[in-house]
Amino acid sequence: MPNSTSAALAAHALRLAYRQSVVLDAVSVTIPAHQVTAIIGPNGCGKSTLLAGLARLHAPEQGQIILNGRAIQRLVPRELARQLALLPQHVLAPDGLSVADLVRFGRHPHTGLLRQWSPEDQAAVTDALHTAGLADLAERPLTTLSGGQRQRAWIAMALAQSTPLLLLDEPTAALDLGHQIEVFELIRTLTRAGKTVVMVVHDLVSACRYADHMIALRAGSVIATGAPRAIITPALIRQLYDVQCTLLHDPTDGTPIIVGAQRAL
Amino acid sequence: MSDTRAQPSVLRARPPASPPRQPRGYWRLHWRGLSVLIERRGMLALLALALLGAAVAALSLGQGSVRIPPGRVIAALLGAADAPTTLVVRQLRLGRVFAGAAAGAALGMAGCLLQTVARNRLATPTTLGIDNAATAFAVASVVGVSTSLAPAAFALTGALSMLALVFALSGPGDTRGYRFLLTGMGLGAICGAATNIMLARAPIDAANQAYPWTVGTLNNRAGPTLALLGWSLLVLTPLALVLGAALNVARLPEPVARSLGVRITQLRVGAIALAGLLTGLAVAVIGPVGIIGLAAPELARRLAGPRSVPVLAAGLAGASLTMLADLAGRTLCAPSELPVGIVAALVGGPYVLWVLLRTPQGALNA
Repeated sequence: MPNSTSAALAAHALRLAYRQSVVLDAVSVTIPAHQVTAIIGPNGCGKSTLLAGLARLHAPEQGQIILNGRAIQRLVPRELARQLALLPQHVLAPDGLSVADLVRFGRHPHTGLLRQWSPEDQAAVTDALHTAGLADLAERPLTTLSGGQRQRAWIAMALAQSTPLLLLDEPTAALDLGHQIEVFELIRTLTRAGKTVVMVVHDLVSACRYADHMIALRAGSVIATGAPRAIITPALIRQLYDVQCTLLHDPTDGTPIIVGAQRAL
Repeated sequence: MSDTRAQPSVLRARPPASPPRQPRGYWRLHWRGLSVLIERRGMLALLALALLGAAVAALSLGQGSVRIPPGRVIAALLGAADAPTTLVVRQLRLGRVFAGAAAGAALGMAGCLLQTVARNRLATPTTLGIDNAATAFAVASVVGVSTSLAPAAFALTGALSMLALVFALSGPGDTRGYRFLLTGMGLGAICGAATNIMLARAPIDAANQAYPWTVGTLNNRAGPTLALLGWSLLVLTPLALVLGAALNVARLPEPVARSLGVRITQLRVGAIALAGLLTGLAVAVIGPVGIIGLAAPELARRLAGPRSVPVLAAGLAGASLTMLADLAGRTLCAPSELPVGIVAALVGGPYVLWVLLRTPQGALNA
């Protein structure tokens, strides 16, 4: 991957609201560079809102988000788009496009009216297609791909953006186990190549296995942050999901595994 | 690969064939640091539509009470024909054909911009009530004020105020276009009713005079309005092209487009304002021939393919369709004449139905 400098992203005392209702309040988080950060929490706790806020899709009511020492509200949209890519949930491509057509959109922040396509743009697209394992499918219409391939095509688009930071909202939603692992392993590869990834993940076990750092949200507040092995405890799980459980550790890599889960009474 | 061993080492040391410099399906022109991508299919579609437009224009200039073959039409345009032919072509017919082409182009581009902004192929000048508002204002001016330029000016005013109203009422954050569409349809219905009330209550002479504004015709175009439309197109077409290129990325889901650095709100306001201006200017010349705004972008999209927003192609398609509709209206039951709006609706309506019914999975997003 092209020069991924240490991209420090942090939110300070962030307050985000939709019209009247406050979704996130007093949220302060730091995203460690070159690592996978997972945002976890129950439905409606503000995970996606936090991700969108970090990508500046919502203007904060209070607090700010700092990227490389600068408030992101001050950045020109294109400048931010060269630092940070976001892949939301449930994305639908315009009709009739091929994989390569979609991936090319990722170059938008790097091109202009009179610099429409440079060799670097072409190289970035080719790279992204290779990294996502789609080189052979480049000219295929998106509609003919499987769900996992389509998700990788969108990730490839975000990769073509050549940003040090990648924000993914449930990148494995609606994928079967094999495709989930495929996408998570791709994400791992990216951080090894120097990218910083933040993802919202529903599946706690996958989050524990593939994340280096975790942010646990409940009702719009951060209740724990740190390495999965350090923060995931039966008490935290009960606090997050109102679920009682026992934790085991995977003998192969020590990842926490949840067993005997039942509703806490 | 087995024969590579037999080749001299110099050849083997050569790096692999250089990767392509441009995406497949594009031409790339470059000079120093500057580069331009041209999409092949879109460019071929433009050429085809331009040829079609030229052919229809030549045919149209030759048809009428005096028939002139295309060769002499061109000679007359170049000033190399006899005086009577030149008079017929240049003085009598050129203005009308140009009016049809210009108004059709404006409606086609406006339709394409609106459909793309609203992400809905049903969002056209007509469905947004812009035609109806322009007509209501024009009729009001005929029934009330009755000076030569007033109806055109009123039509333009009506179109722009309608658009502002629809935009203001549907509010921001409307990503799927439904609020936008429904607001336009509701307000358009009110304007349509207002037009009918005015026509019913006006003296018969005034009502007769206002009638052409309600059907769309090239018969009563005013010179100054046509000139205004022509000059405006010179300025607005490049603007529409730039906006169309920017809107291409905006076809992606809104959060994705925004995280790619697109200033989506500005883009949307700009495209809607431009579409309103184009529609208003067109309606001021030709009246409400809104079906062009629906049919032309469909034709353009079919020819130009899915890779871009075919603003210019929609303009050329609109010009051709309008000239064709006018030609048919003038010649099919000559010497009486069918207004262009009626022919366009008769031909364009079934065409649009055909396109929409063939669309897979009922997908209507532009």
